Amino acid sequence: MNCEVCQLKELEVEHFEIREVLRCILHTIVFHRALGLVRPKDVDLELFEITYVQCGDVELEKKIDERIDHFISWVEKHPNKKSQICLSFYEVKSKQPSWFTNKTERLYWEQWYVNLNVTQHPKHHSSKSHHAKVVVDPGESATEDRSSRRAMVEASLREVLFQIIKFVNEKKDHVPPISDGVIYFPYEITIPSSSDSAFGMDMIKRMLHSGHPTMLS
Amino acid sequence: MEMDRESGKLEQIVSQFRSKILHVILNSRVPSLHHHYQQQEPLSLSRVRKSDKWFNLVLGDRAAALENLNFSLRNLLDPMIIDIILVHHSSCSSSVDNLYTPSAAVGSPSDETVIERWVVQYDCARVNATPNGADTSSSYKKTYKKSIILLRSLFAQMRLLPAYRIFRQLSSLSQTYNFDLVYKVSSFSHPFSREEEGAMKEYIFVPVEAFPGRLCVSVTYRTSLSEFNLEPLVSLPSNIITDYVGSPTTDPIRSFPSSEKGFQATSFSIRGARPPSPSPFQRPHSWSSGFHKGLPLMQNQSLAGSPPAYRTSPKPYDVVSPQSDIYGNRIRNRLPTLQQATAYDEYQLSPPFSASASPSPPAYLSGANPVVAHHCSETAPVTIPFPLTGRNSFYLSLNSSDPSRHSLPPLSPRSSKHDASSQESPSGIRSYRKLEALRAGESPSGLSINYSAHKMVRDTKDDSGRFSGLLSSSGSPRIGFSRSSSRLSFQDDMDDCEFSCPFDVDDIDVSDSPASQNVEGKKALDFTAQSVPVGKKSQDAAVGMLVHMLRTAPPLRQDPSCYSTHSSKTVGYEGGVGTASGFFMPCKTADALEELKSYREMRDLLLSKSGTRVVRKEEM
Repeated sequence: MNCEVCQLKELEVEHFEIREVLRCILHTIVFHRALGLVRPKDVDLELFEITYVQCGDVELEKKIDERIDHFISWVEKHPNKKSQICLSFYEVKSKQPSWFTNKTERLYWEQWYVNLNVTQHPKHHSSKSHHAKVVVDPGESATEDRSSRRAMVEASLREVLFQIIKFVNEKKDHVPPISDGVIYFPYEITIPSSSDSAFGMDMIKRMLHSGHPTMLS
Repeated sequence: MEMDRESGKLEQIVSQFRSKILHVILNSRVPSLHHHYQQQEPLSLSRVRKSDKWFNLVLGDRAAALENLNFSLRNLLDPMIIDIILVHHSSCSSSVDNLYTPSAAVGSPSDETVIERWVVQYDCARVNATPNGADTSSSYKKTYKKSIILLRSLFAQMRLLPAYRIFRQLSSLSQTYNFDLVYKVSSFSHPFSREEEGAMKEYIFVPVEAFPGRLCVSVTYRTSLSEFNLEPLVSLPSNIITDYVGSPTTDPIRSFPSSEKGFQATSFSIRGARPPSPSPFQRPHSWSSGFHKGLPLMQNQSLAGSPPAYRTSPKPYDVVSPQSDIYGNRIRNRLPTLQQATAYDEYQLSPPFSASASPSPPAYLSGANPVVAHHCSETAPVTIPFPLTGRNSFYLSLNSSDPSRHSLPPLSPRSSKHDASSQESPSGIRSYRKLEALRAGESPSGLSINYSAHKMVRDTKDDSGRFSGLLSSSGSPRIGFSRSSSRLSFQDDMDDCEFSCPFDVDDIDVSDSPASQNVEGKKALDFTAQSVPVGKKSQDAAVGMLVHMLRTAPPLRQDPSCYSTHSSKTVGYEGGVGTASGFFMPCKTADALEELKSYREMRDLLLSKSGTRVVRKEEM
């Protein structure tokens, strides 16, 4: 089975917009891949005039929010960096257990890369705003600049949503069969590690092989 | 055999797919259907009906309109074309006349623009390669899975198209617009003009293979709707309905607001759904069951915009269903024709919309979704603003003079039906209990205010003529018997009752002669002095209630002593003849005559005590 990959258009967002943007994108993707029985739920974004659809599954919502929180924490430690969140759907295949491998294997059949460029944000807004309800960045920039910028972000976000719909429509053959009682396919959300991805992966591999603790930045 | 089974399953998938798409589209574009969906209690997925589980997308119960549409478009090979039309009503059409006479709406100027056209078609023109036996069994499963994905993407895309924003705005409960979103479903469609095509864009969903054909869905939509200036309607000069009768469940008029939404014009999508009626708001029946559902609409409508009678019940399609038949019929009839329908026909195809507020507004852009019609039958109290005309000023003065009379008694449908339709009324006992509730100040009804306004005016002018005025306004001699102790007990109880009985007592003792009026007035004054403070309106109401009670009371025994006892009770309260024996229909003529005789005796007794003998012409 092919693993279809979709690289979504990069979005330039401010820190306080991360949560809403990610919720919108991730839930939209999952909604299209939650092929079990769902009662769709419309959610209106607070910062933008966009309505997206959720599955209505509480557990799913919690998991996504949790991953978003982790991502925001990472962004706070790595400001002004382009970041990427990967939402992957996989199938669980059992295989012969061995000493070094598990008896199950994940076969990824679809991966979505959400590309964000988080612009610099004043530090005093970073600590709590993402935990609290979304607050409009008080900012000191001119109202016109803010509204035009907001409109651009909204238009870009809308484009990304259309991109998701287009991809979902064009690629259907690789989607596995729907299992009874399963609402959505198994998925995982990967956020960047605490360092650069390549460096982080190397460190993890080194730890596994050598067992030496390594300080990660 | 297996092929047949498979083809049967595919056919079922195609049929259900069309129904589901229609459901999705209309739920996302038609405010009334959307509200219906929102109002449904969110059941757990395990309790979802089988029919709603198709494509694993639970949308809730379908409105009756959708069912009829589905039925009328059963031919799977015909395309299903769903036009979402934005109707702009001109301001001059916001008059009362247009509401009362839907036919007039036909000619009212309005602009209609197709802002979206969805085409759902099972395309068999292109014959796909026949799948082999192994593939056949799984082909319908793949078709079903891909259909699910297509529906998901369609559902999400509907929220991204420009029309969705208008839909949300028009769904707002807090605002009323002079725009409506209506829909038209047919197998044919008039092609767009070149100009229209230039403003539109097409999106074609990737077809889903469904051997021997494929499911195709496309949408042509206007890319920009900014030219439609969707401004909320501001307060318009109201055209007061002088004899407006509100709902018995509404609260009394607490104020005469100038800041209320009540002066907004109504949405004219409602017009299209109102059944034509020459006089839909005839007063005695304005609280009848059919109309009652529509009453909450009055909340946000000007008095000029008298409430259309629907769109307020929790099940709007209860009201829609009549129209749905029309829709179904219309659609069937229109299948062979192009889009030549008049504007009125367009309205008829759309479920009724409402712009009135609801107690529970969900929020989007402007804050609320209008679920006008879909809200619970327990509607918010109606505040009916009254201009301070001469007639209504009386009510105002009454209100202001006596703070305790802050509420009007609810004029129950039964209690208010004191006219010739007495057979439909419940027993007098129930009416009496209703009056007790009225005394408690519960949800007084604006119903009676205007209705009896002119009577109130008369009452204020001449206290003595209060009852006479009331009595003389009705031609029914039966009501004359309301002057009895029963009535007095009503009046004792209805301290704050302020509505007048529209079924004025026509007391045989009361005549237009000045003498009689003076006598009556004196009695009335006495009554007023002696009774527990009862408003003038409460007396009228008491009269009506008493009449009703008496009429529906079971026949009494023919016991003269009973009459004399009652007559003694009535002494000193008021002139006129009354009997506490009740107002019943004698079984025999002899009984009736005897009854009449006893009444006469009582009358004479009362009059004699007043010092005046009134000679009245018997009308019985």
